[in-house]
Amino acid sequence: MSPDTAEQLLDVWKRPDPPEPREETGFFTDTTLCIGCKACEVACKQWNQLPADGFRWTGTSYDNTVALTSTTWRHVTFMEQFDSGGPGRWLMMSDVCKHCVQAPCEEACPTGSLIYNEFGNVYVQQDICNGCAFCVAACPFGVLDRNPVDGQAHKCTLCYDRQKDGMTPACAKACPTESIQFGPVSVLREKARERVRQLHQRGETDAYLYGAEPSGEYSELNAFFLLKDHPAVYNLPEAPRRPSAALKSNYIASFAVAFGMALFSAFCFAGEKKWNSRRS
Amino acid sequence: MEQQALVATAPTSLFPTVNDVVRMASPERVGEPGYYGLPMLKRPLWRWEIAIYFFGEGISAGTYVLATMADLFGGGRYRRLIRAARYISWLTMVPCPPLLIADLGSPARFHHMLRIFKPLSPMNLGAWALFGFGQPVTYLALQEAAGQLPALCRPFVRWAPRRVVAILGLPFALIMLAYPGVLLSMTSTPIWTRTRLLGALLGASSVGMAASSLALACVLDRRMERESRVAISRIEGFSHVCEAALLTAYIVQSGPVATPLTRGSYRRMFWGGAVAIGIVAPAILGAIGRRRKHRPSGVWSAVLSLAGGLALKWALVHAGRESAYDRAANRIASSPTAGNPGWNGTDHNAALNAPA
Repeated sequence: MSPDTAEQLLDVWKRPDPPEPREETGFFTDTTLCIGCKACEVACKQWNQLPADGFRWTGTSYDNTVALTSTTWRHVTFMEQFDSGGPGRWLMMSDVCKHCVQAPCEEACPTGSLIYNEFGNVYVQQDICNGCAFCVAACPFGVLDRNPVDGQAHKCTLCYDRQKDGMTPACAKACPTESIQFGPVSVLREKARERVRQLHQRGETDAYLYGAEPSGEYSELNAFFLLKDHPAVYNLPEAPRRPSAALKSNYIASFAVAFGMALFSAFCFAGEKKWNSRRS
Repeated sequence: MEQQALVATAPTSLFPTVNDVVRMASPERVGEPGYYGLPMLKRPLWRWEIAIYFFGEGISAGTYVLATMADLFGGGRYRRLIRAARYISWLTMVPCPPLLIADLGSPARFHHMLRIFKPLSPMNLGAWALFGFGQPVTYLALQEAAGQLPALCRPFVRWAPRRVVAILGLPFALIMLAYPGVLLSMTSTPIWTRTRLLGALLGASSVGMAASSLALACVLDRRMERESRVAISRIEGFSHVCEAALLTAYIVQSGPVATPLTRGSYRRMFWGGAVAIGIVAPAILGAIGRRRKHRPSGVWSAVLSLAGGLALKWALVHAGRESAYDRAANRIASSPTAGNPGWNGTDHNAALNAPA
């Protein structure tokens, strides 16, 4: 084993001091402003040097990107609602990692690769991730994905590298209608509430915020949305669950059975002795 | 031009997620509620490696616990049973780490699992448990082997600690029994998360399989103590009753979310394998055997139980892949509850803006 390899192996256990926490940042994606131009998808791919995903037609809408994957970190959904008799409308939404304040993927990660960085964003440390795929199953939004080429999980970094240099993430920078807004989360939430009030005053009473505040067991999202229809229309869960909420009761039930079985077997093995001595 | 050629010739296996999903989108589904029939979740990537691992580690941890209990409370009456159990425990433990490593996306980084201690993540806890479990299992199996070797090795048997090591390994073995189902239920996959019984079910199944493998050893080893046969058949019966009860509760509580198991692609594996072969057939064979005053558990009964346990774990692990794409199950699993209202503001706003 060369000294380099040994150093590489040991490097994983070194714990450098984390950077000073900064103001929490996030995205506010206002779907009422989205025109479906996909500039965010392209800007994200370019800045993060993500490869193409191949090309195929869905035959259902202009959405041929289909889903967030390990190489697609922004995905514009297209919903065409023209069969309800009214004038009809398009609903478009630029989907992204929700950067949950309490993220199921981070809780599941067994290597500590998934962390909250100094901006409060959920971040995959690519030098740590070993591709166990627990986060893929844990994410209630279906964001995380393991790439078969490098065998690691990838997702939106909220342009950690750009933020470190004080720049706006690529998608928000490229968005021509300010549908994607980037900034400190507290400011964004205030802006978003103001926007909902404005829309309601104009008669668009179906506008509401998705993920701006905690919902029972699920935390608020640092990348939240303004929607105009049922969350399922945008392929979002109506009320996501935090998998770790049931962890304690799961452990109690399963350890109770394991201990119970061990005790029963101890009883059987010990009881046999008495039974035998009675016979002899 | 060049770019296009690259995309056209790129193997589609490079984009498994999108290929999966695109197949599900079809113009006929445009009118359906939801988003063109596309799935909301990513499917779990765990496959046969994990199913076989759950099978192996269950038998290994189960036989370890049974052997340790027999050693501690049996008063030296179960020597042959304990020896068989230590061998089985070691043999089923050995393939576990390679299976887990093969399942990783970056197998060369398997040691990153032991980078931190994080019990919040059942996978991290399980990795530590397997790491701690492997040492006593190997030590105890070696000690049993030394006992069968010529006199040169005897001091290792007579003077080296046995019970202390067995007790030290016991917590690891109990974690190994308890954690697999808890790991599956800390995901967002509907079929694994609707009940809190999955950990208990897999644990009971593991002990059942361990007892069955020891029943098999009892039959194959003609010199096995008679007390061992009786004790093992009782433990086997009890754990199968527990398993059947937990399985029933799991299926009933899961309701329509359990469709991939009850009516989906894994229905044959589940009903035929886990239920008929694993639970019903051994129960019938056991009843017949008892009436005819035969041995407590025959070869067939034990083999069927083991096959059924494998079928249960295989079906449960693989059904998760189907369940994540089951949109009806996803709707049920993410529907609002009193404790978790969610963010569907459509109704709220309608009520807010209704004329007073």
